[in-house]
Amino acid sequence: MMEYPEIDKYASLDSPMHRFDPRAKIIAFIFLIFSIVLLNDLKLVLIGFLVSILFLIASKLPFHFVIRHLKGVSIFIIPFLVIMPFTVKGDEIFSIYAIKVTYEGLRYGILVALKAFSAVILIFPMVATTKFETTIKALDKLKVPNILVQMLMFTYRYIFVFVDEFQKLLIAMESRGFKLGTSLYALRTIGNALGMLFVRSYERAERVYWAMQSRGYTGSQKTLAEFKMCTKDYVLMVVIIAFAVCLHVVCYAY
Amino acid sequence: MKKEAISVKNLTYTHPDGTKALEDASLEVYEGERIAIVGPNGAGKTTFLLHLNGILRGSDGQVEVFGKSVDKENKEEIIKEVGIVFQDPDDQLFMPTLFDDLAFGPLNMGLKGDKVRERVEKTILSLGLMGYENRCPHHLSGGEKKKASLAAVMSMEPRILVLDEPTANLDPKSRAELIKIVNDLNEREGITVIMATHDVNAVPAIADRVFVLNKKVIAEGTTQEIFSDGALMKANNLEVPDVFKLFEVLRCFGYNCEELPLSIDEAIEHLMRTAEVNGGHIHLHIHEHTHDEVKKLRSEYEHH
Repeated sequence: MMEYPEIDKYASLDSPMHRFDPRAKIIAFIFLIFSIVLLNDLKLVLIGFLVSILFLIASKLPFHFVIRHLKGVSIFIIPFLVIMPFTVKGDEIFSIYAIKVTYEGLRYGILVALKAFSAVILIFPMVATTKFETTIKALDKLKVPNILVQMLMFTYRYIFVFVDEFQKLLIAMESRGFKLGTSLYALRTIGNALGMLFVRSYERAERVYWAMQSRGYTGSQKTLAEFKMCTKDYVLMVVIIAFAVCLHVVCYAY
Repeated sequence: MKKEAISVKNLTYTHPDGTKALEDASLEVYEGERIAIVGPNGAGKTTFLLHLNGILRGSDGQVEVFGKSVDKENKEEIIKEVGIVFQDPDDQLFMPTLFDDLAFGPLNMGLKGDKVRERVEKTILSLGLMGYENRCPHHLSGGEKKKASLAAVMSMEPRILVLDEPTANLDPKSRAELIKIVNDLNEREGITVIMATHDVNAVPAIADRVFVLNKKVIAEGTTQEIFSDGALMKANNLEVPDVFKLFEVLRCFGYNCEELPLSIDEAIEHLMRTAEVNGGHIHLHIHEHTHDEVKKLRSEYEHH
């Protein structure tokens, strides 16, 4: 069975990160992510990386859940680590035949990988500790453009429906003897199924739009949500942002 | 004089691909009535329903809701009056939680936070959806989804409720529950109900009047009148309720009845009455014609 991309599967746990007000959480972590990503000093990035891991631990999310999501991201990050040492010019550490492995390249590779992993790891305490719909409402309250909020909302609502529909197509195909594989025939069939999915999505989009119009939709979407910030939230937010700023102050003074 | 809720005159609609969906369809629905629209697949039932609140607009003809013509200018007003429940709940429930879905309509009507919450709460209570507020529509069962779709429309408090195949894909319990809810809404709040359906066994329980639609309105009448017209039923790929069929068979066996019952309740009443008249007995027998008559009936009911 295909798995649902449930990013908020463990949003009902209890941890300091779960209790953190969604709006403050989003602001604080976005700040921290940008701060780490914009650093250029390996040591400071390493500190940022370790702090990200601390936040992840504080969020009490199950290890397997985090690993499963990190695996996908790694596919994009690991290549930097492998390719950079070979391609960046600088002091040679050793060479394989004519290809030089450079100290600068290795440093860059590690820098990029650490930054990327920090950013991804921080997404977990930021997004996976709140019900996704609450996150969306928090974004709306933070005055994120309404069109983006709506897109997120519909993506989240219908991604499950699409998974279900693709699943149904696959089962229908398999029950008529189709075997999933990498042969040209199998790929072509999957292609057809995907095409079918697009057609169905298009038709569904039309019907959903009718349903929305029937209930008075005119283009903008209001949401009802109440959030309450308490002292704890302010303190935590200020601490995180202060840390993010500190990283850069230290980097500058260094 | 009954007040007209919906009046459709000479409605014509052509799909973008050129096929005619509706041709000169006209009908009138009075306030507080329960209407069933039956017709074969592809007869334009859904298309017709989408005209009732102006989602689709015909190339020709006119739709009026409580005397107001359905057009661009008063779209907002019409939408408040006419609530459409779509066939697939996944089309209807597009918000992340049930609460948001119920709040969607009232928010678009320009109501403020507390008023919206009040409406949502009231709808949830009246449809028995307590405890579902924060559930994600995707995780509901088919019956719950259907009820939720109805709730999402009812939170706007429309005076006319339009349902597209409300009983499709429901288990018998959910089906009975839905029928009861719709009937209650009609009885308690005087809501006019219009539904398209293939579920003929549900029609007597849920409709006072029936329209047969096949691109145009072919026939209209009480459930009794429509279902008694065998030729009409057959010509439009339709069927009569099972109870009705059974009593037609009983008639071949000499059971005496003028008006055939359409539902189990009516059947029981009918049998009681007949038994009372005949001193506690119901008399059935076979005579020469019986076999021929039964045979004729069977061939009438076969769709070939």
